[in-house]
Amino acid sequence: MRAIDVTRTAVGNTLRSKLRTFFTVLAIVVGAFTLALTMGIGAGVGKFVDNVASDYGQLDQMFVSAAPEADADSDSELTEYDPQARQDAGEGDFFRDMMAGGALDDDDITTLEQIDGVTEVYPVLSVQTEYVETSASDAYELQEIGFPSISDAMHLTAGEVATAGETEMTIPEKWLEAFGLEEAEANSVVGEVVDLGVPNAIGGVETVEVTISGVSQEAISGVGGTPMPSMSLYQHIYDLNQHGLEQTPDPVYVQAIVDVENLEENEQAIKADLEEAGYQGITAEDQMGQIQGLIDAVTWVIGGFGLIALLAASFGIVNTLLMSVQERTREIGLMKALGLSRARVFSLFSAEAIMLGIMGAAIGIAGGVLTGVIGNRILTDGPLSDVVGLTLYEVAPVPLLMVVALILIIAFIAGTLPAWRAAKKDPIEALRYE
Amino acid sequence: MSTSVIDTEVPVLQTENVGKTYGRGPARFHALKGLSCEIDHGESVAVIGKSGSGKSTLMHVLALLDRPSSGTVCLEGEQVNDLKPQHISTLRNETFGFIFQQFFLNPNQTVLENVTLPLKIAGVGRSERNRRGMEVLRQLEMDSKAKNKATDLSGGQKQRVCIARALISNPTVIFADEPTGNLDSATSETVEDILFGLHAHHGITLVIVTHDEDLAAKCQRRLIMQDGEILSEEPGAHTAVNNSEGGAA
Ligand SMILES: Nc1ncnc2c1ncn2[C@@H]1O[C@H](COP(=O)(O)OP(=O)(O)OP(=O)(O)O)[C@@H](O)[C@H]1O
Ligand SMILES: [Mg+2]
Repeated sequence: MRAIDVTRTAVGNTLRSKLRTFFTVLAIVVGAFTLALTMGIGAGVGKFVDNVASDYGQLDQMFVSAAPEADADSDSELTEYDPQARQDAGEGDFFRDMMAGGALDDDDITTLEQIDGVTEVYPVLSVQTEYVETSASDAYELQEIGFPSISDAMHLTAGEVATAGETEMTIPEKWLEAFGLEEAEANSVVGEVVDLGVPNAIGGVETVEVTISGVSQEAISGVGGTPMPSMSLYQHIYDLNQHGLEQTPDPVYVQAIVDVENLEENEQAIKADLEEAGYQGITAEDQMGQIQGLIDAVTWVIGGFGLIALLAASFGIVNTLLMSVQERTREIGLMKALGLSRARVFSLFSAEAIMLGIMGAAIGIAGGVLTGVIGNRILTDGPLSDVVGLTLYEVAPVPLLMVVALILIIAFIAGTLPAWRAAKKDPIEALRYE
Repeated sequence: MSTSVIDTEVPVLQTENVGKTYGRGPARFHALKGLSCEIDHGESVAVIGKSGSGKSTLMHVLALLDRPSSGTVCLEGEQVNDLKPQHISTLRNETFGFIFQQFFLNPNQTVLENVTLPLKIAGVGRSERNRRGMEVLRQLEMDSKAKNKATDLSGGQKQRVCIARALISNPTVIFADEPTGNLDSATSETVEDILFGLHAHHGITLVIVTHDEDLAAKCQRRLIMQDGEILSEEPGAHTAVNNSEGGAA
């Protein structure tokens, strides 16, 4: 029997009892669907994380916070109850522990500046802005401005990064519209002065005249997508935010971002120094690695369910084919009597198992990819549209091909028992079979 | 292995002291008890005897469907006992045609697909298969039913399809186990005429297992079996009937 006839016969036989085939295939579809979805999510989120990491990664920077208290880590050990110690710890400590790192004050910033290899310290404050007004337009709402530490990661199409000490900022390309300019005319906006509206602490809005120093392109990671002030402008906005308070509180920084010399080489040394001084420093790569690790863990767990579904589906294949072999005892006997070899009988049923696998894989993967692509679009255009450059799903051809191969291997293995049963049938007994 | 040219002097099939036992211990049963026979090229042989006497068992051994427990079987003078199963399968496919009492047609397939099954097994391409299938169906006047499902046919038509299937690979020997067992007498007559026509005009060797005295009488030779042995051998009434048309009744 020719291979083409084996295939044709196998296809014909799987289509013979459609309902049975349908349910057997359905089980495979569930597994294939789950795997196609998780593989794509892994790839999509991975790509996003990579993009962000590569934009931030070119900066030699670390995120520094106070080290968590030593005993906060040792959850596993029982600590004797001491009411006094508990009171000392205070309420804020709960949140500090949650963030696994403590806030910093001005003394800490000074300490950080002393550490070897640290060239610049940006204490992270949160600031509010209200609007921006150009000479050519009405006021535009301004919700978010960038934090100057990542200025150097921006790709500029015109001008330069805001100079430290000057009341300057760069604007993203999309803002050119507000000046009635095309993207190609970016250069002519450099040097323009805009009014920045900044809310103060008693409900008023104060304005600052800011010079535009350059135009930035928005990267996939979102870097360059917001106006980027100089550090001094940023500080000035913060001060304006506090205006009106009787007594300005000492600033508390969630963390500090530090520029370091040659991160790649000095990472371990600086981390050790920070630790010794009572701080912990992590790099963008560390941070992204944590996110990636979390996503990987989730996809592996869901992928594991997919694998279990496939395993269960394989028993479905065995069952279906065993029934089929039993029902077709006479047919098999006749074919053997007419000269079909054992090997060919085996391949006939193996081909049928693989057919079931192909159908399940095709439907499941098509469904998974479609769901992933559509779901990605709905989520990133809708509820998650704030996260610039976010990809939740990406069609990943290599992992998908691996899923197909895995399903075909499982189907083939599931088919061996029934196929072997069929192959060893004695033609005479098979023909006698009622 | 020797010549591939068919030597008509050598018997097409030959058994020597063939035994077949089923089961073991107290349930051990000798279905064939050291049986020797020869079937020549172009012969028509009927195997008759009581039910359970071993007729089908002998046919299965002759047709290489079953291995004897003892003794030897030769095809075209060559011993086949020790051949590989794969080789025996191929020999069966190329040399023999089979007709069974219960037809064994695949109900899900068309008449044409059923008829061309041996060629499909032999690895013949589809267009060639269909061409030869139509040819042999035409020969049996069944070509108009080629596209019908096999289940849509009458008993006589089904057996004609089976004969077509047995004929399609131009076999040297056709084995028929009770070919008319499921047919009424008029239909049996037609089927018998076809079989003996093939024998007469194409020189196909016929081995027919039957209970039907009339059918057995049309064969050149009759092997009468009892308890796993050949009790006696008789020449058929075939030639006599031919000489005095309708004389025997
Ligand atoms: N697989 C088997 N196991 C045990 N005994 C068997 C087996 N096959 C056949 N026999 C026995 O061998 C004997 C011969 O069987 P066989 O089928 O050759 O008879 P037969 O002459 O063809 O009978 P019938 O005319 O009823 O078809 C019978 O007694 C049968 O019970
Ligand atoms: Mg019998």
